[in-house]
Amino acid sequence: MNATKHITFSPARIAAIASNTLLELVRLKVFYFMLIFALLLIGSSAFMVRFTFQQQFQVLKDVSLGAMSIFTWLLATLSTAMLLPKDIEDRTLYTILAKPVPRLEYLLGKLLGVLAMLAIALVFMSALFLVVLYWREQIVLAETARTTAPEELDAALREVRGLTFNINLLPGIGFIYLKAAVVAAMTLLLSTFASSWIFTVIVSVMMYVIGHVQPIAREYWLGAIPGGTVASPVLKILLGLIAVVFPDFQLFNLVDDIVVGNAVSAVMFMKTAGLGFGYVFIYTLVGYLMFANKEL
Amino acid sequence: MKIRLLAIAIIVAFGMARLPIEQRITEEHRAAFFHGAQLNLGLRQQLGQMGFLAALSGFRAVVADVLWIEAHNAWERTEWGTMKLLFDTVTALQPRCMMFWDMASWHMAWNASVAALNDKTQPREALRLKAQREYIEVGEDILLRGIQNNPDKGFLYEKLGALYDQKMHDPCKAALYYEKAATFPDSFPYVKRIAAFRLAECPGHEREAYDKLVALYKMGKTERVPTLFTKLHELEEKLSVPPQQRIYSPKIP
Amino acid sequence: MPDPAISIHNVTKTYPIPFRKEIVVAVKNLSLDVEPGQVYGLLGPNGSGKSTTMKIVLGLVRPTSGKTEIFGRSSTEVESREDVGFLPENPYFYKFLTGEETIQFYGKICGLSGAKLRERTKELLALVGLENAAKRRIGGYSKGMLQRIGLAQALVQEPRLLVLDEPTAGVDPAGSREIRDLILDFKKRGLTVLLCSHLLSQVQEICDRIGILHEGVLVREGRLDELISIQNQTELILENASPELLAVIAREASAGGARLVEQRKPQTTLEQYFLDVTGGRK
Repeated sequence: MNATKHITFSPARIAAIASNTLLELVRLKVFYFMLIFALLLIGSSAFMVRFTFQQQFQVLKDVSLGAMSIFTWLLATLSTAMLLPKDIEDRTLYTILAKPVPRLEYLLGKLLGVLAMLAIALVFMSALFLVVLYWREQIVLAETARTTAPEELDAALREVRGLTFNINLLPGIGFIYLKAAVVAAMTLLLSTFASSWIFTVIVSVMMYVIGHVQPIAREYWLGAIPGGTVASPVLKILLGLIAVVFPDFQLFNLVDDIVVGNAVSAVMFMKTAGLGFGYVFIYTLVGYLMFANKEL
Repeated sequence: MKIRLLAIAIIVAFGMARLPIEQRITEEHRAAFFHGAQLNLGLRQQLGQMGFLAALSGFRAVVADVLWIEAHNAWERTEWGTMKLLFDTVTALQPRCMMFWDMASWHMAWNASVAALNDKTQPREALRLKAQREYIEVGEDILLRGIQNNPDKGFLYEKLGALYDQKMHDPCKAALYYEKAATFPDSFPYVKRIAAFRLAECPGHEREAYDKLVALYKMGKTERVPTLFTKLHELEEKLSVPPQQRIYSPKIP
Repeated sequence: MPDPAISIHNVTKTYPIPFRKEIVVAVKNLSLDVEPGQVYGLLGPNGSGKSTTMKIVLGLVRPTSGKTEIFGRSSTEVESREDVGFLPENPYFYKFLTGEETIQFYGKICGLSGAKLRERTKELLALVGLENAAKRRIGGYSKGMLQRIGLAQALVQEPRLLVLDEPTAGVDPAGSREIRDLILDFKKRGLTVLLCSHLLSQVQEICDRIGILHEGVLVREGRLDELISIQNQTELILENASPELLAVIAREASAGGARLVEQRKPQTTLEQYFLDVTGGRK
């Protein structure tokens, strides 16, 4: 008699596949990206000494958050694109699906593994960024204390602190993660029917770029641009298709404005995050439909 | 085939359902001053293909910073025209960054205007003065556009007040913008004082200015700076305030 | 009557050719049963439909028509795979895992955990002779070791059926012999084995029944000894027979209406000879 009793939906199975995926991605030395990021951070900080401290903090935050954005996007695209093709090519997929593992759990496990890797990468990069920000802040505070008249000291120190850490940076980093999560789910969907991982990467990158102009297409389609009517019906249909098919990545591009002082309310965060989760859910659902039907 | 059609149907249905939601959320973001950057064809020409693509793909802050550094380098070479173009691009990319608007207007209204006034290659003083004036107006325009993009922040109002005060010598406009800046909770305490001082210099607003100065006086020791007393005295003389009602006295510190 | 381990009913699998009206027929109207406890050899040239048949049995591919069952449960149900262990042809496992971690991974996805999983892992590593390589990464394993770890993962949830696709392909003779012995051991324990192999000599040694596929059609099927025996011939092997005795036997055969077809010295197999010379596995 075999040793195991079948469980219809098993979080433990998903967790086993997810942790294996995470291990696979980490052992692929993907964390060497972190090293490049760290060098970039500290390098950019040292490079900026000829500017005012306001400019230094601005550049430090912009470059660090921009680097986080680009690395998580790259990690999400490249690591997700190769997951399925590699398992198929190595026939490991057969050994897994020949076990009592539903295809949905396999796919969820893979996606969660990637999301876990992205979270770890972002936590590491954020921690490093905040440490460097704090370090630079302390240097500037000490300099300011040394050179500012006593009656203006409080205001001056407050000004310096106001330019460094801002609590809204945290939801900003959350949006970076959300965007990468949507990219990962989208890439996984593409890989369920793509003929090669290169095709997956190319289409994912294309969708990423077009996703940043989707809002323009949407606004023309919905007639939300004052005076912006589209005369040609063919163009209007094309704009509608772009709006409907491609995701709106601009919705998650809030960190640039957060760095310069915009605040994110809890309601705004929940709504935007909700939409992000909606994207991840739908892409995963459609990816499952394609994968469930895939001839192996 | 059926599954593929179902998949496409789900994507399309989700797409149709999310369009109004996304539009609503985008509008809420805009109301909170997000997505203000104008990524249009003009910007595309200034940034080049890669820069525009980078800006479009969520890296506009980094692109803005790179251009800012280029503007700084242009400043070191005193290439005022190049600086102006770069500032326009930077502020288009990052319309919510106070520092960019402030520094851009400072470079134009202070540095470039003084350089124009002292331009040894221009022998005619009238033309040098004209160039100076034009640069100051460029600085003014920058701040006005900055305020349009940032009506919720007092900082640029204060800077515009300083520009009218120090460069255009227009105390009435200076007072107006200092006053506006003072209404914001994060403004420095001196801003409302300066607003009152400039109002005191604005013809036809003496009574109004005097009332404001008296109110400041009554706020206590922190507001009772020497200039306050000087302005109070000037206005009490101008308005012929009865002695027993006067606040100013040379003996009061 | 217990359910057959594998039951294939009128299975046909076709693949459309993109942009053309023709189709490729991979398997045509296949029906066969594999009884519990049997070692069944599925043979055929390349492209005959063996792999497709295996994948249909394992539920990895859906048949165009017909159905397959594992111990009475449809192959399309995930639960049917509780009873199956599969070793694909030329498998690559996750190179970054050690042998031990590989078995544990497959154990976890089968629902095993904790002490039970650790025990089972140790047991399987001992069974396939990989205790000394347990902590080494799969990326450093030889072909023979990969096949053995593959067998171990196939057995992790103690399945009643093993499906093995070319289990000894690319393995050296000693390793191949060990895998063959393992399969015979599985048979003794009552496991059912479905085996695909091009090594016909090995199939001949271990299989009870065979099916031969050709262009998707089952052309022959039955007990191995019945299929390959030459019905009208009898083999006698004598030791220390003198030439006079051999002459008497030949005369008697002729008188009885039979014909002496061949008289020769029996041969050992090249494999056995090789193993004798090299001393087998170290």
